[in-house]
Amino acid sequence: MRARPAILFLWALAGIIAGMGSSPVQAGRTIRGLQALYDFSSPSESLVRDRSGLDPAIDLKLRDPGKVERSKGSLQIRKPTILESTQPASRLIEAVRRSGEITVEVWLKPADTRQKGPARIISLSRNSTNRNITLGQEGDRFDLRFRTMRTSSNGLPSLATGQRTLTPGLTHFVYTRDQSGRSRIFLNGQMTIEKTMPGSPSNWDPGYHLLLGDEASGGRPWLGSYHLLAVYSRDLSPTEVVAHFKAGASAGKSLPPARDPRELYFEDKVAPILANHCVQCHDPATRKGKLDLSRRATAFTPLKNGVAVIPGKTGESLLWESVLHDEMPADNPPLDETQKAILRKWIEDGAIWSLSRIDPANYVHSSGGTDQQWIQRLTVDEYIATVQATVDVDISVEAREILPPDMRADGFTNTAYNLSVDLKHVTSYARLAEIIVSRMKPGEFAARFSRDRRFTDRSMEALIRPLGRWILRGPLQQREVVSYRGVSTAVAATGGTLEEAIGYIIQAMLQSPRFIYRIENQRGDGSPWPVDDYELASRLSYIIWGASPDEELMRAAREGNLSEPETLRRQADRMLGDSRAIQRSIHFLEQWLNLNRLSSMQPDPGRFPRWSPQLARDMHQETILFFKEVVWSEKRPLADLFNAQVTFMTPRLADHYRGMSSSRERMRETYATRHDLTENPTRGGLLTHGSVLTMGGEDASMVTRGLFVMHNLLRGVVKDPPPEADTTPVPVRPGLSHRGAAEHRIADKSCGGCHSKFEPLAFALERYDGLGTFHEKDHHGNLLREDGKFLVPGSSQPVSYESTAELMDLLAANSRVSESLAWKICQFSLGRPLGFREAPIIQQIHDRAMNEGGTWADLMKALVTSDLVLMTRTEPQ
Amino acid sequence: MKTTPINRRTMLRGMGATTIGLPFLEEMVSAAQPDEGDIPVRAFNVFFGLGIPKPLQSEGFDGVLEPLKPLREKLLIMREVDQVRCDESGINAHFDGASGAFTATAPNGEAKSGGASLEQVIRRGAHPGGMPSGMVPTLVGGTYFRRSRISRYVHSYNPDGTVAATMQERPRDLFERVFGTISVDDRDPDARKARLRRSLLDSVIDEYQYYTGKNSPLGSASKTRITEHLERIREYEQRAYSFERGKGGPERPPRSQVLHGGSADPGGQGIDITLEELTTEWRLMADLYALAIETDRVRFGSLTFLAAGERIRLTGNYHYDGRKIFTFDDARQQNATGDKGCSHEWWHKFNENRKNEALRAHAHMKMREVAYFLQRLGETKEANNRSILENSLFTLSTESGDGRHNNVKRELSGVFHAITSANGRFKTGEILDVGAEGLDVYNTMIQAMGAPGRLGPGNREGQIVDQIRA
Repeated sequence: MRARPAILFLWALAGIIAGMGSSPVQAGRTIRGLQALYDFSSPSESLVRDRSGLDPAIDLKLRDPGKVERSKGSLQIRKPTILESTQPASRLIEAVRRSGEITVEVWLKPADTRQKGPARIISLSRNSTNRNITLGQEGDRFDLRFRTMRTSSNGLPSLATGQRTLTPGLTHFVYTRDQSGRSRIFLNGQMTIEKTMPGSPSNWDPGYHLLLGDEASGGRPWLGSYHLLAVYSRDLSPTEVVAHFKAGASAGKSLPPARDPRELYFEDKVAPILANHCVQCHDPATRKGKLDLSRRATAFTPLKNGVAVIPGKTGESLLWESVLHDEMPADNPPLDETQKAILRKWIEDGAIWSLSRIDPANYVHSSGGTDQQWIQRLTVDEYIATVQATVDVDISVEAREILPPDMRADGFTNTAYNLSVDLKHVTSYARLAEIIVSRMKPGEFAARFSRDRRFTDRSMEALIRPLGRWILRGPLQQREVVSYRGVSTAVAATGGTLEEAIGYIIQAMLQSPRFIYRIENQRGDGSPWPVDDYELASRLSYIIWGASPDEELMRAAREGNLSEPETLRRQADRMLGDSRAIQRSIHFLEQWLNLNRLSSMQPDPGRFPRWSPQLARDMHQETILFFKEVVWSEKRPLADLFNAQVTFMTPRLADHYRGMSSSRERMRETYATRHDLTENPTRGGLLTHGSVLTMGGEDASMVTRGLFVMHNLLRGVVKDPPPEADTTPVPVRPGLSHRGAAEHRIADKSCGGCHSKFEPLAFALERYDGLGTFHEKDHHGNLLREDGKFLVPGSSQPVSYESTAELMDLLAANSRVSESLAWKICQFSLGRPLGFREAPIIQQIHDRAMNEGGTWADLMKALVTSDLVLMTRTEPQ
Repeated sequence: MKTTPINRRTMLRGMGATTIGLPFLEEMVSAAQPDEGDIPVRAFNVFFGLGIPKPLQSEGFDGVLEPLKPLREKLLIMREVDQVRCDESGINAHFDGASGAFTATAPNGEAKSGGASLEQVIRRGAHPGGMPSGMVPTLVGGTYFRRSRISRYVHSYNPDGTVAATMQERPRDLFERVFGTISVDDRDPDARKARLRRSLLDSVIDEYQYYTGKNSPLGSASKTRITEHLERIREYEQRAYSFERGKGGPERPPRSQVLHGGSADPGGQGIDITLEELTTEWRLMADLYALAIETDRVRFGSLTFLAAGERIRLTGNYHYDGRKIFTFDDARQQNATGDKGCSHEWWHKFNENRKNEALRAHAHMKMREVAYFLQRLGETKEANNRSILENSLFTLSTESGDGRHNNVKRELSGVFHAITSANGRFKTGEILDVGAEGLDVYNTMIQAMGAPGRLGPGNREGQIVDQIRA
């Protein structure tokens, strides 16, 4: 079986590979978890380069070049010598120590089948008795020593292949080991041996060098040739091993060259400055001074008075001169010395420009959203769903009453940095745990995990381990077993029953940080690391369901194959067929459009006598039912949310939209029915829903509506009003409609630059009043229109539309809109604002989803198989 | 509505005769009295929404600052404090100015400031190992309605920019946060059950300790969050097992009569509220917050008098010092409904060449309420014969020095500030045109309070604003 194209480790290769559209490796090889890679492709270099792209590289130095023969793609050791990493392989060692997993893969050709010692093929060791890991040749067998807390410092006992398994031909050797100690050796794609050798590598010495061809202290030489060598900090699955074997010994050569550090400097340091301080005025639409600094071509184009950026020549670059003398940014605080120094260095170093476009929207959270990594506390909704899924108790009423509500931040209530804790949380979790257990039969529940009914250590451990793995969503460490055992001991000591003890243990687990938070490993070397299978199971379930993993997901995690692309996709498909996926998507919708705001509306009864709380509920219901119809019943692309010609209205809402009062009989009807809008040109799509139109307040503010569309649908960014601008809203009057007032603002020299970007987006909504009722004239008798034109951020040419419906069609067809929606969904799914570092991955998620059809399910599948989910950012120790 | 200042005892009776048991309070207040020479470090931020336009500040105590006049010997009024560095492009000062109040940094995300608030730096300096047992580490309370962004109403921030404590927006919430007890203790009739609960709690604490320790797999921000959680658990433990409760113990204040939660902010359109409703709520909060300080349950935190960019349509006759100042009727006076009928609009329409009567009345009224709170703390003398107000650092500020949103520099320059003496550390009895960045002012204050931390960028060379120091 051939694996699908590799899951791309996009950002690991020394940062973000901006705009990357295709795999950097030959199909069949994965680089997820890759720590070191040697393809021996540059025989002329004095070093054998580590091609993993990770920093620091673990390059190998030849001690005696005369004893080897190098060709493009292989290195043959003809006489005893050694290749040694130029510095200790600490990064690799720490990664393995943390993950507890490893894969060593090598394409090799031994000189003969008589070498013994074992003769050192690959080693991380100090001398012949102290090592972390060593692959050796012992005659016609391979010998693998892996040091753990349960082995000797020499890594003994070793794992060895059978007799005559080592042959002189080109051989693909792979050793994998997972956290539980399950160790496998594959030869030419076939598993040769599997054995569980428990023990943690937490005692690995970080000071050892990576060695090829001999022991550090000498005396264990190996002769033969290397064609490819890779080390991973995870255990590759059998499917991946087979794929690597089929990809062949030269598969590593298609890796791209390591990126120019100047490109990364530009993306990480320079682009955020340009985005936040320059591009707002110097974008394709505004082009102040006829300069567009969002693209390389335009930034480097000669202007009347010179060139903004001349590589290597700060003194001749207008950009530098203007910021140096604080002439730019105009009307804004000057750049500080650090920012200036960054720009100067960039220009001096050649002004490398590696992005196709600087999109200011990507930099809104450049310092906040992406730098710090916050643990995610379960939201109230997630807590309720997790309790239901874990112990089958409905705690929704009590949890909503007792737990403090989660507050919105950056548009969503699940934004991790804002999920703080107060004393009320602690008291609530304790109280809820009591209530939950009081509704369970702990003994019956525990029987799922163990039928042993004794208080002995062994029996309790046999129960606590699987019980904890289920409730806490992953295996327990020994210290946890001991801690929960302490609870049961306390019960036993007071003459309590086992049933009671189990109840208290469950209560303790329900208050554990592992239950209340989504605990993941965040420590490492500063580079992204792959999540383990249990972490992945949790990510998957909370992203798709907003709840904890079910038994099938946990089983896949336990078996260690969840991260395989096929398994992952299959699980995602299965999960998306569950009603919890629908509920989760509705939570997104409610927060994205802030639908809960409707229940708080109190419009002036003098102006809006028909308004009632029931009407607010009808509007809320309309949007939910519409979303379910388009996204789940008809499984249409998400873009159709903007122009689908269907809706769900109660009679009362239908009357309200037409500006009519409802009869008593129609007022009583609370059931919303499906309405085909094909023949109704005034409605169709989310933006024509009362739930969205009310966003502009009672006065149907064009500014607010336009900004909503721009921020939420087009990811546009605007700056402050200019100094001295009169921001008092202009009231409508006979002869001056909202549009008229907006056109004045747009025509105004100091306001128009920004207002022209967003107010025309609301022109199409002018016929809907502040509560969504359709009118052809306003209350002053001004005729209302629906035509207009709008600018897509990043473009210079406005797009015209004649009607509301045409704007909806244009939005539905616009890739910027679907990209914006992808950003919002990714933010909600991950519980954090996303920034420029993630932009290439989100673009790829979007593109993949669009290629598959652009539905919610397509987007979810693209997301959960992306590095946003498969990888985790780490902080250095 | 209680419009005249009342002392603690009166307040207790006013709150419903039996709401807070007097024996309990007598005991707590006297127990809280520090020894002479051992006056605790205290720092509080007092925020009021919408600001005072710079030209009105120049009128001294003859204008909107009149209610602060009785406190003038205990306050240093600071004008010309520049918060321009807090500006975040694309957004007006209600958000970034509010986030910058007490932090002097621009916001970092919708619900994060750019760094710590000054009283949190002082707290960490005074109590590097955490607050003494039984004390609320930081008390954040206030009355506000607009809640689109947290920075509008929360004014205590951790060094990482996250909120330092959950906002207590109802008087009852604030009361329970400070004086609440938990119905678990060792004197439970079922002592066995209590022991088992304790054992369970031990196990929970073990778990949280692990995730804050050196072997924790968590990154620094996450670890901080778990550490906060652990601190709350310890507080829970302390209250659950150590507090005296029952006889003479406090009971909850009456239920709030104003809107809270989502209904308090109907889509940014504002709410109708009477002056009586508003000031009754404010005074109850002020009394409770003052009580929390008097009983030494709280030494650090913030109190909010309306959110930044608040939207209310206020009605009612406003009197001060025996004379009628104004009749509030925002919506009718502006001939508008919804957000356009809110008092907020008076700030948009400010014109220094006009009378600005409505704006003045609103600002004056807020100063009256802030003064009420401060005066409450001027009543209790401590061992050095100074009042709590004089011994503590109270910092008053707001989001902007101009509400018209059309000039960032003007909007964030001249942001009103006032401070108390902090036990003789700062000048009082003056109105100073400071002419300095808020960041330098705050850092000067932090330094004078003896805290090692500093606000703002690490590589910035600060300026000591010596003129504010005593």
